[in-house]
Amino acid sequence: MTPDFDVIVVGSGPAGVSAAFPLVEAGLRVLMVDGGKRPDINPPETDFLSARANDDKQWEWMVGKDFHALKMLDAVSPKLRVPFHAYAFDGFGHENRIEGKSFITVGSLAKGGLSNAWGCGVARFSPGEISELPFPASDLDLSYAKVSRRMGISGKADDDLSDYFMLDEYAQPPIPMDISHAYMFRLYSDQRKILHSRGFKLGHSRVAVLSEDIFGRQACNLSGNCLWGCQRHSLYSATYDLLALRRYKNFSELSGFVVEELKCSKGGWRIEGCGTSDSGLKSISAGKIVMAAGTLATTRIVLKSLNYTQPVPVLSCPTAAFLLWLPKMTGAPRMPGFGLGQLSFTLSLHGDYTAHGSTFSTTGIQLSEFARHVPMRRRCSMDLLRGLLSSCVVGNLFLPGRLTAAEAKLDNNESLIISGKYGGEAQPLMHEANRALSRAYRRLGAVLLPGSFTVASPGADIHYAGTLPMKVSPSRGETSPYGEVNGLDGVFVVDGACLPMLPEKPHTLTIMANADRIGRQLAACKSHYSN
Amino acid sequence: MKILVTGATGYIGTRLTFFALKRGHDVVSASRQRPAFFAIPWVFFDLSFDDSIVLPTGIDAVIHLAANTTHTDSLCENSEVSAARKLIKSAQEADARFIFVSSQTARADAPTAYGRTKWRIEQEVLSAGGWVVRPGQVYGGELRGLFGALARTIKELPLLPAFMPAPDIQPIHIDDLTEGLLRIAEPKGARPGVYFLAAPEPVPFSKFLAEIAKSRLRCQRSFVPAPVRLVDMLAPLLGKTSQTRLKLERLHSLFDLPVMDTAPDLKQLGLTLRPLHSGMHPSGSDRRRKLLKEGRALLVYVLKDFPGNAVLRRYVRTIESLRDGQALDLPQTFLSRPILLSLLDHSAWTDQRTWAEFSWRIDTATVLAEATPSGAYRYLQLDRKYGRLNSLLSIGSAMVCELLWRILRPFFLFLTRHALARARGSM
Repeated sequence: MTPDFDVIVVGSGPAGVSAAFPLVEAGLRVLMVDGGKRPDINPPETDFLSARANDDKQWEWMVGKDFHALKMLDAVSPKLRVPFHAYAFDGFGHENRIEGKSFITVGSLAKGGLSNAWGCGVARFSPGEISELPFPASDLDLSYAKVSRRMGISGKADDDLSDYFMLDEYAQPPIPMDISHAYMFRLYSDQRKILHSRGFKLGHSRVAVLSEDIFGRQACNLSGNCLWGCQRHSLYSATYDLLALRRYKNFSELSGFVVEELKCSKGGWRIEGCGTSDSGLKSISAGKIVMAAGTLATTRIVLKSLNYTQPVPVLSCPTAAFLLWLPKMTGAPRMPGFGLGQLSFTLSLHGDYTAHGSTFSTTGIQLSEFARHVPMRRRCSMDLLRGLLSSCVVGNLFLPGRLTAAEAKLDNNESLIISGKYGGEAQPLMHEANRALSRAYRRLGAVLLPGSFTVASPGADIHYAGTLPMKVSPSRGETSPYGEVNGLDGVFVVDGACLPMLPEKPHTLTIMANADRIGRQLAACKSHYSN
Repeated sequence: MKILVTGATGYIGTRLTFFALKRGHDVVSASRQRPAFFAIPWVFFDLSFDDSIVLPTGIDAVIHLAANTTHTDSLCENSEVSAARKLIKSAQEADARFIFVSSQTARADAPTAYGRTKWRIEQEVLSAGGWVVRPGQVYGGELRGLFGALARTIKELPLLPAFMPAPDIQPIHIDDLTEGLLRIAEPKGARPGVYFLAAPEPVPFSKFLAEIAKSRLRCQRSFVPAPVRLVDMLAPLLGKTSQTRLKLERLHSLFDLPVMDTAPDLKQLGLTLRPLHSGMHPSGSDRRRKLLKEGRALLVYVLKDFPGNAVLRRYVRTIESLRDGQALDLPQTFLSRPILLSLLDHSAWTDQRTWAEFSWRIDTATVLAEATPSGAYRYLQLDRKYGRLNSLLSIGSAMVCELLWRILRPFFLFLTRHALARARGSM
């Protein structure tokens, strides 16, 4: 019996589309299945400040007609409260049966996956980092180039983080900074030496956001709607790659399908699962399966198909947020500007650890997001923030993923339970980072506001990886250097689940490059199963 | 279930028909006039006519509401009793449950013909194995019946009588009464007998009048003492017609009301009555009104300005769709001076649950107030009130105010405790 397709790609996020390109380019019959959720409200039509000043219906995209923002009041990130992004997170835990126990679990059933609502941070893994992967660094070079060019990234600058991000050869110029960031960056050039000696480096953020038009997407015009939905499609989302994939006749798509299990069948595999709109069980067959459902969903499907009930490790970056006040900027008017990372830093910490983070303008974020963390009466805290926030920038910080001690395990009901906490080293490192950042930013004319440095709960980074790590000689529950699951021959994991390590730097680009690498490998073995 | 309602076009009858239809029952109206509001079957029925009524087929219950409220002679009394007797007989022949709506004044030796007639009919009903319901003072809904008469009188009179000694009444909202009637009529096994339906705790009649003025008519009325003896003496001077017009006779029966022990019957029917102040609101409940007040106070508290009714309605809808839809019942002092909410915000709430709810509502008010052009102008300083000095002033005043409230709080301990207790009670 010939299978319905040569390859089924499960998931249409960054990993799924990256793996799919080499496969369809090689002429394989590829089916991509995904949860298929799509946005159902419109982002603001004008730039953020004009929309705020004039749009009487702004509550529809700020709060949501169904009061989405209020329903999500306890969610970890402002992003999870944005009505426009609601579809990107909707139903994930419930339909995939994934639960966090003192661990935040976020995922997506949307077309394009989590890339619909990401921070767009991109970086290449350094040769040292890739040496922890079970294949030569050169294997990824071609893939990095291909994926970076397709996504469109910006931030090319000859600065102190060029060697950290290693993307300048593919990058467009940076998106202009706002006056606060420009001010800090100016001071940085005078203070470089002393800050370097303290392990602090600053540079432009490298982001998957256009500063020049490509492929029908428009460059950022500083509208400030990054958080609320960009009408110009400047921020990369895997849905733009889907548009390109659909031009191939041998590419098919099935939306609204949540895979429950993989079953071995004659000549290959069957995926079984349910439609999100109907309850009927469906089954589709293919020679090979590419798993790109996102780390947590992929892990559950693979562990269930393996009938593997031992716990597997979960890598996740301990993360924190902080607020910087630039006294010199006090009273600055609100200006339109870029809403994602403008400047990034790296910070060397004890024990050869590095922290990485970026700083953002506060203009696109509501005061109420900050007010909840100010230990004052609401009326007073709103007054305080009203005067203070226009001269503040908000920052985040990530530590390497191995500092979180978490695991995922199938329970008796076949739900995937993620539990864990930060390892013992994380707390002192956070403490150290707080002090070091405070000192470093003081030299840049910024005060790290006391009490603002807040360590988030485990899992809040939404960088999950390493559950089904690639190994040279994988054992059960691990994958080969090409992501093939030990025990499920013909099932390839291409998303974060197969990364055996998770540095502090953004990992999405590397997941995509690795998915492309595995896709190319599968395409090269085409003769295997097209006969 | 198919119910025949006599007096279906009256004050209680109309409301009863509405709720019975809403619950999926078939209603047949037995009245002098064809019902105007509902397209339902109608049979002619008049208390003063001698013909007996022929029940339509399939009637499961008869609710007898029709009554002569303007007795002028004893002939009418007798015809009302005989009409009831015939109706009971028809119901028995049709094997239908018979429910008679009597009165709190029903007594063999009642001072009014109204009360005596009710008592006589009650005896007939009970001996035929039927159900008798004695409602207290019915209020709410349309301005009809005695309630309507009282409301109209209050509207006309600048001063109201505070009868001395003060008579007590036991009110019941018309919707609660119809609910009770339907529960008795529905075949779930309420035992035949007399049911007292009214608030278990009597309230002074003058308080009832004041509540009509305040919550229903939205007007202020003062009371003048009116000794009952004096009213008794003056009443005959008014003559029969104006007595009837003012329903003085029925009013008179108030002075002589026995207190009904309603709690056991309410419990048996599983009926919870709405409080008087809530039911007296034109919509039959002041829940939403309280929420509007709370929303307004919270929005003004966080924004220092009222962001408009659209935002206020949004607040109410939020609480209705995401929470229990009930206001936290903060005291009026806080609601009319929102700045005082500073005493409760970040205050020493002992009860975690109430505190969490209060904080949630503050957050909600902030989010809703901010997502408006006026919120943007204020919080993003789009009103050109930026500039170093303005910003520093804003920061400085925030600090000073916070400090001030912290210092002031102990002086308002009593007020704060009172508010916290009420908020806890509302949850």
